[in-house]
Amino acid sequence: MEDLKKGSLAKDRQVPPCQAACPIHQDVRGYLSAIASGDFDKAMRVIKETNPLPFICATICAHPCEDECRRKNADDALSIRSLKRAAVDFGSMPRPSPVPKNGEKVAIIGSGPSGLTAASDLACLGYKVTVFEKESFLGGALAQYVPLYRLPRGLIKRDIDAIHKMGVEFKQNSALGRDFTTGDLKKQGFKAILVCTGLPLSRSLLLPGFDMGNIYLALPFLWDVNFNAKRLPPGKAVIVIGGGNVAIDVARSALRAGAEKVKVACLESGEEMPAFPWEIEEAKEEGIEINCSCGPKCVKGKDGMVCAIETMAVRSVFDREGRFNPTFYEDRISIIEGDIVIIAIGQTADLSFLKGTEKPVTDMGKIICNPDTLATPCEGIFACGEVVTGPGMAVEAMANGRRAALSIHQYMKGEALQIDEPKPFGSLDECVISAIKRQSRQPMPLLKPEERVRCFDYIELGYTKEIAAQEARRCLSCGAGARRIEDKCIDCLTCVRICPYDVPIVTQPPDNSVQIREDQCQACGICVVECPALAIEFNSSLFEDMDKELEEAMSQKGSKIAESKIVLFYCYFGTYSIPGLTHFLNCGLPTEVKAVKMPCVSKLGVSIFLKAFELGADAVFILGCTDEDCIYAKAALWYKRHMENARRILKDLGLREEQIDTIEISDGKYHDLGNRLIALAQNKNVKEVTI
Amino acid sequence: MIKGEQKTIDEIEGMIADYRKILVVGCGTCVTICFVGGEKEVANLASSLRIKERVKKGDKIIEEAIVKRQCEREFIAEIAEKVRDADAVLSLACSIGAQAMAENFPDKPVLPGVNTTFLGLIEEPGKWSEVCSACGDCIIHLTGGICPVTRCAKSLFNGPCGGSADGKCEISPDVPCAWQQIYDRLAAQNRLHLMDSVFPVRNWRSFSAIGPRRIAREDLQVPKAEETT
Amino acid sequence: MKSGTNLEKVLDSGAFAVTAEVGPPKSCSASPVERKGEAIKDYTDSLNITDNQTAIVRLSSVAGCVILKRIGVDPVMQIVCRDRNRIAIQSDVLGAVALGIGNFLCLSGDHQKFGNHPTSKNVFDLDSIQLIQNLKMMRDEHKFLCGEDVSGDVPLYIGAAENPYADPFEFRVNRLAKKINAGADFIQTQAIYDMPKFEKWMKMIVDRGLHEKVHILAGIIPIKSAGMAKYMRDCVSGVSVPDEIIKRMKDAKDPKEEGANIVIEIIEKVKKIEGVHGIHIMAVGWEDSVPVIVKKAGLFPRPAKQAAVN
Repeated sequence: MEDLKKGSLAKDRQVPPCQAACPIHQDVRGYLSAIASGDFDKAMRVIKETNPLPFICATICAHPCEDECRRKNADDALSIRSLKRAAVDFGSMPRPSPVPKNGEKVAIIGSGPSGLTAASDLACLGYKVTVFEKESFLGGALAQYVPLYRLPRGLIKRDIDAIHKMGVEFKQNSALGRDFTTGDLKKQGFKAILVCTGLPLSRSLLLPGFDMGNIYLALPFLWDVNFNAKRLPPGKAVIVIGGGNVAIDVARSALRAGAEKVKVACLESGEEMPAFPWEIEEAKEEGIEINCSCGPKCVKGKDGMVCAIETMAVRSVFDREGRFNPTFYEDRISIIEGDIVIIAIGQTADLSFLKGTEKPVTDMGKIICNPDTLATPCEGIFACGEVVTGPGMAVEAMANGRRAALSIHQYMKGEALQIDEPKPFGSLDECVISAIKRQSRQPMPLLKPEERVRCFDYIELGYTKEIAAQEARRCLSCGAGARRIEDKCIDCLTCVRICPYDVPIVTQPPDNSVQIREDQCQACGICVVECPALAIEFNSSLFEDMDKELEEAMSQKGSKIAESKIVLFYCYFGTYSIPGLTHFLNCGLPTEVKAVKMPCVSKLGVSIFLKAFELGADAVFILGCTDEDCIYAKAALWYKRHMENARRILKDLGLREEQIDTIEISDGKYHDLGNRLIALAQNKNVKEVTI
Repeated sequence: MIKGEQKTIDEIEGMIADYRKILVVGCGTCVTICFVGGEKEVANLASSLRIKERVKKGDKIIEEAIVKRQCEREFIAEIAEKVRDADAVLSLACSIGAQAMAENFPDKPVLPGVNTTFLGLIEEPGKWSEVCSACGDCIIHLTGGICPVTRCAKSLFNGPCGGSADGKCEISPDVPCAWQQIYDRLAAQNRLHLMDSVFPVRNWRSFSAIGPRRIAREDLQVPKAEETT
Repeated sequence: MKSGTNLEKVLDSGAFAVTAEVGPPKSCSASPVERKGEAIKDYTDSLNITDNQTAIVRLSSVAGCVILKRIGVDPVMQIVCRDRNRIAIQSDVLGAVALGIGNFLCLSGDHQKFGNHPTSKNVFDLDSIQLIQNLKMMRDEHKFLCGEDVSGDVPLYIGAAENPYADPFEFRVNRLAKKINAGADFIQTQAIYDMPKFEKWMKMIVDRGLHEKVHILAGIIPIKSAGMAKYMRDCVSGVSVPDEIIKRMKDAKDPKEEGANIVIEIIEKVKKIEGVHGIHIMAVGWEDSVPVIVKKAGLFPRPAKQAAVN
């Protein structure tokens, strides 16, 4: 939101590829890192910073972020959408921070993802926003047409409730052109009006036989299924025409509505199908037949009812310029038998509300507007979402809504609009990729196909907290790691020599100095600890947080004055892999033991060990992973070496070496860890220290 | 570059025993690179000394400072106030830096926290070796780029002696025989003839024969006020 | 004649020379030197006095030589570069000649790390070859290193050591040549056990005609026991002891006798090698073995000694 207030969506800067690929530039790395630490509330806070619809996106986002995730070059991309789902499942929605109102009113026509995003953003900027919705319920296409098994309606409500709490007013059953005009709104004091009415009309086919009975259009069919619990008569085969996401939604809904058999027929080849590949995959799992590269020629009927469609083989779907312009082999005919046909070949806007407008505002069924400012030719009227862009992802509509909000803000302030899109980091070097430890992606658990086709239940079961943390720690933290402090670096080359990923390099003359390639850094932190000039810091506040946490832990008074103070540094990556351990470390330790968490104990150097003793610790223990389990290359070697150095210093200081020790996470027996650490700190004879 | 090693905590404790407020002063140049006197080492040593005070229930105050180059008056000046406040300065610079501190603060005891070890080269991280004695008369053009004054345990000019075996010096299997290295290097360069003539007796005037050495270059000296008029 | 010492005369006469070594005591008593000298003087042409060998402080070599001189031995004074700079060395040489010493063996010296003062600071102002040059300059040019004149003659017979077994082997002969060019009159080698390698080395010397410019005395160290043989192999730098010798010592009923036999066989062999003009027996701590070995090797009696000219 900070960026929003400054008047640009994002500064001209490099960001992780996931963030750049996200149309609303979510801080993916930020919330993944929070999830990896088990802090789902923080994850929610990070998500809400840029995303007003976390529940919706956690459920149906087409996650372009994952396509760009650099981890895919090592093994698999992060399962980002599933992790957002874990954040909304386990985290709490942050309270909106109060925003001083600026007294200006903005009307938003339509409560789909673009409208909701614009409403939320404008509310953040201090506007009094009213959303007008034609239907009796909110959410636009998401609420009207997206099948329930993909998006339970309660989740939409969670997001809308949060926007409502920000002071956005919603008026249902209020349709532009039917119940009010833009003129009415202006008279009511709305300085700006944003039209985001989406694409509510299904396209049809004008081919022989398409006037028969039992032929439906996609959107009315989905509406009926969603709101009227429409069920198909038993024993019927359904033919769905179309290859997009709506076609797949229709097909899977038809199956759940009682179809005996569902067959999809589309012009595109398997690879060309515009539907998301995972949707197609899930549909196939459910037994849906997909017929590619076939174009409908006519419907064959019997007694006025459908009995089959005749199709021609497709020669090509797109012309040389890439435009949709299908050609066919007219002699290659096939028959697809079925009793019901549902046409799902696209949607179009309903611009009937524009009748009587004095200026031409439409072009080919879309509203005309400046693509940058989204301003229509009518003063004060803006448009966004699919009514402007045509069909796309929900998150793209949200981005468009944000652009509109920003543009309206600029319009109200009378300033020129400037939006800089952040640039993604380049690709990872081969040497970095080869050093990344392989760890495959956690699949999202789903209902079994045979179970899910019987009902409209939400099919995704969600991660457990532990699995979510494990998946999140796969994040390569692109760009969150080391940064060279130019004023302090003396080019000693230590980082160049020790980085397990060869991230620091020496640049060519004339610069000829150490360069830490921030976009390649894996954030293990080894260089930060090793640098003799303290000239490397993290792009995140991780090290500062660690220091702060230690200071806080040491200044806490136990319920009684504890006999000894013991610091337990632990890797939350590792502890999360043992069910219950993280919770135990947070809540189950005796008051003598202060636990300090961090993402891999590779970040521990001699300095922090000494600091713990300086602050009054009697013993310091390190709960790290084995080299095998550690996500980083060589981290275990380094922290153990630092521990050895610190032990030598303790010995020189006349203390006992054993006052610093490591504990490896190997199995689940941790319940008497606290007592054992105390005994160990008090130099009692304890043999077993591994847990 | 100059290489050093930190003195032991025991030794340092002995030196600071009589002072209450100690300023640990690091240097951002050579000693940072060899991990004995940079900002990190200053922090760690100061931290160690504070732990010791805590354990002993002592009342010493340990402060920290870092100077970009402790051998330069102008950089030292930046910490003048901190030095004035301290009872003694514990320098983690090389002896050059420590002596510069002593020059600049003549009333302040300057304690060396570091032993200046040698002029050396990094072999690999954590390993350094001495390669130059600053003898003032470099002859490595005749010895394959390897200094026998420094790298031969006996500083022979006409080696190798009879103790050279398997490429190692007789003093330790860890020490390479410099003259074997010279031989190999010259052989590789087809310049072995350089080892056939007797290398004459060395004139040590450039080294230790004339007491502390000085360099005076008039072309670089800044004229004093009366000279400019 | 360069110095007219017995050693010089024996070598110049073409006889096969025999020298041995006397280690001075870690005390100020002359008697150990006298006793050892008496025991072997008749079986040798000259006796070396070591100069704080292996960097262990002992009675000085100049004093040791004077003690030997008193009982009629022709001493070889060893000088190492480790402990003295050019000022001290030149001064000692002048003094030694004044006391009747004529043979000098120029060595760089064992590193002080091995001795009983490992924390001392070494000197190495000169190296052994420069020391040879220095002595030759004093003798032939009557000049000190600084170029100033030495008044009067400085009769010196200059020796040097060489180790045929040190590395790089192919350079050892070149280094010997450097010593000869610097002014070495005779060479005493490191102990010879590995005969093939020594033969190879000698052949290289002969091929270059160096044996005509210098007298080479092959080093001999009698072995007392299998343990000593192993120690020599493993712990004494620059000595190569073949496994066969260690096996013979291990299997021997009387190791001392076997050790003497081995040494005698070695002497028999080196006598036949072209260019070898004598042997140098280093039986430090086991000086009694010298008479036996010399006799058994057929090198007794020695040519009659003549007093030095000066």
